[in-house]
Amino acid sequence: MGSLASAKIVALPMVDKHSEPAPAAVKPSAAEIPAAEATANAPAPVAASELPVSAPEPVPTVSLTEVLRSLLARITRDRIITAALACISIGALFLFWYLGTRYRLEFYIRFKNVPTPYEVYQQLTQVGLSNKYLVNIAISVRRILLGFFIAMAIGVPLGLAIGKYQRVRDLFMPVIEIMRPIPAIAWVPMSIMLWPNNEASIVFITFIGAFFPILLNTIHGVHSLDGVLIRAARCLGASEFRLFLNVILPGSLPHIFTGLAVGMGVAWVSLIAAEMISGQFGVGYFTWEAYSLVDYPAIVLGMITIGFLGLACSGIIRMVGSLLMPWLAFAPGGKR
Amino acid sequence: MTMAMAETQKGFIDVREMGVIFGANDNKVVAVESVSLNVQPGEFVSLIGPSGCGKSTLLSIVAGFVKPTSGEAKLDGKAITKPGSDRGVVFQQYSLFPWLSVRKNVEFGLKMAGVDQSKRNTTARALLDLAGLLSFENHYPDQLSGGMKQRIGIVRALATSPQVLLMDEPFGALDTQTRVVMQEILTNIWQQFKISVLFITHDIEESIFLSDRIYVMTARPGRIKAEIKVPLPRPRRAEMTDTPEFMNLVQELKGLIREESLAAMAPEIKDRGLSGFGMKVGPKGVGEIF
Repeated sequence: MGSLASAKIVALPMVDKHSEPAPAAVKPSAAEIPAAEATANAPAPVAASELPVSAPEPVPTVSLTEVLRSLLARITRDRIITAALACISIGALFLFWYLGTRYRLEFYIRFKNVPTPYEVYQQLTQVGLSNKYLVNIAISVRRILLGFFIAMAIGVPLGLAIGKYQRVRDLFMPVIEIMRPIPAIAWVPMSIMLWPNNEASIVFITFIGAFFPILLNTIHGVHSLDGVLIRAARCLGASEFRLFLNVILPGSLPHIFTGLAVGMGVAWVSLIAAEMISGQFGVGYFTWEAYSLVDYPAIVLGMITIGFLGLACSGIIRMVGSLLMPWLAFAPGGKR
Repeated sequence: MTMAMAETQKGFIDVREMGVIFGANDNKVVAVESVSLNVQPGEFVSLIGPSGCGKSTLLSIVAGFVKPTSGEAKLDGKAITKPGSDRGVVFQQYSLFPWLSVRKNVEFGLKMAGVDQSKRNTTARALLDLAGLLSFENHYPDQLSGGMKQRIGIVRALATSPQVLLMDEPFGALDTQTRVVMQEILTNIWQQFKISVLFITHDIEESIFLSDRIYVMTARPGRIKAEIKVPLPRPRRAEMTDTPEFMNLVQELKGLIREESLAAMAPEIKDRGLSGFGMKVGPKGVGEIF
């Protein structure tokens, strides 16, 4: 291969100028590219000197700091609007809640027994740091993580295999199609019978909730993978195993992460329902217990806790997703 | 390395009495019928024909993706049964892995072959330099223009030192200006690597500009209609397209292709000619006649 580097190149370096007429497709800032090109031509001085290269067009000088500053200004302005809108949407919810409880609204829906935001805040300061509350959160999170990771560990490889092999698909899809419409909550009685203890049955229900979205999105990810990429990998000498590891898995990763995000949401729904019905401990149990004990502020505290935990979980998934898939930032119709 | 390859005369593609039938019974489609063709070591051969004539099917067989119904394809005397890195393939669609950086894309074949990281890196950088894209080694494919992507596709296919390069309308999706430049780049790369190329296209000028020899295919079922030698000297230059020799070849090929393109169209068009369907189209478009 060494001879490649020293091979004489005729009429190649100048070609860039003709074949880059798509600035829209090139995402990095325009100021960056001419600089990069200059360094690229440096290693091939022989070829460059042989060429009747027309004198490089003078690049309009733009101060880098200026570009950065205007970029920064635009981003922050964007951010400010985003943050303001977020405050408005959350603020409107609180305002509605506050006004509803303040004036004890009664128009079909009844605010008669609904605790005020202040009562919930008081509840948070009293109960919020109590051992009981924190233990409930920890137990719910542990159940979620167990159920979710088991669902991921089974759902992703199985989904890849089903997506890739017709026979595996023929074998598994009928049973999956029957099981899928059964909501996780409907599994509660069966789960209590099946599993030796309460903890295992709740984790199982969480698993059921997360499993199907992860599995189906993984299958969909394999199917939506462009066949030309698999053919390209094959003729570059990829073995079957390498094809899975280096093409099919990364190629379906965007869909897998969609599945993980949806699966996490359904896992929380299933977990809370399971905890309310058969639980001891857990945020769902905490909320239901509060209702039984006519402790209305604690109900709302439980709800808000569930909301925040769900938000945190899907936020973590999204963060891991964008760390693992940096190329998506440039994909056509991309997320940014 | 490249010289050694030329001296051992590797990269001889031999297709004999090839037939391909898709489907069965009522849905049977004869895509290719008794096609024989060859590509000599180091030769640049184009396959040209109307759309749907089975030229891509032929290439898929040589690449190892499709098995022929009858006949056989051989590379250096060995029957082709599956895809392999001894045949580099460049596809019409951009086939770069979007999750890999440009350099990692070029390294892919070497990684599959178990070449160690530092050697992979050196080779990929040399090839990217050849393609004039070294400065983009850490970009993702989605950040590049179509022409750049296809140049990377070509050097990626060359990274594993294949004996032949199979190209399926690689410049079909590019605009005319970019395509002309890409053709020059390709002839340059081809002359440096001295490998055999089987090139599929429906562009007459492109096939003449690039090739030593051109096979013209008939409409479906695809057969070889003519084999034309291109006597133009090397290296080819863009100005050559204006010479009388070039023009004559274009005329000859246009005549051959036009017959087949018409044959490939619906019988209605064949019967009535291309003068239209006898419709009156008013100033408001076809809507008016209804």
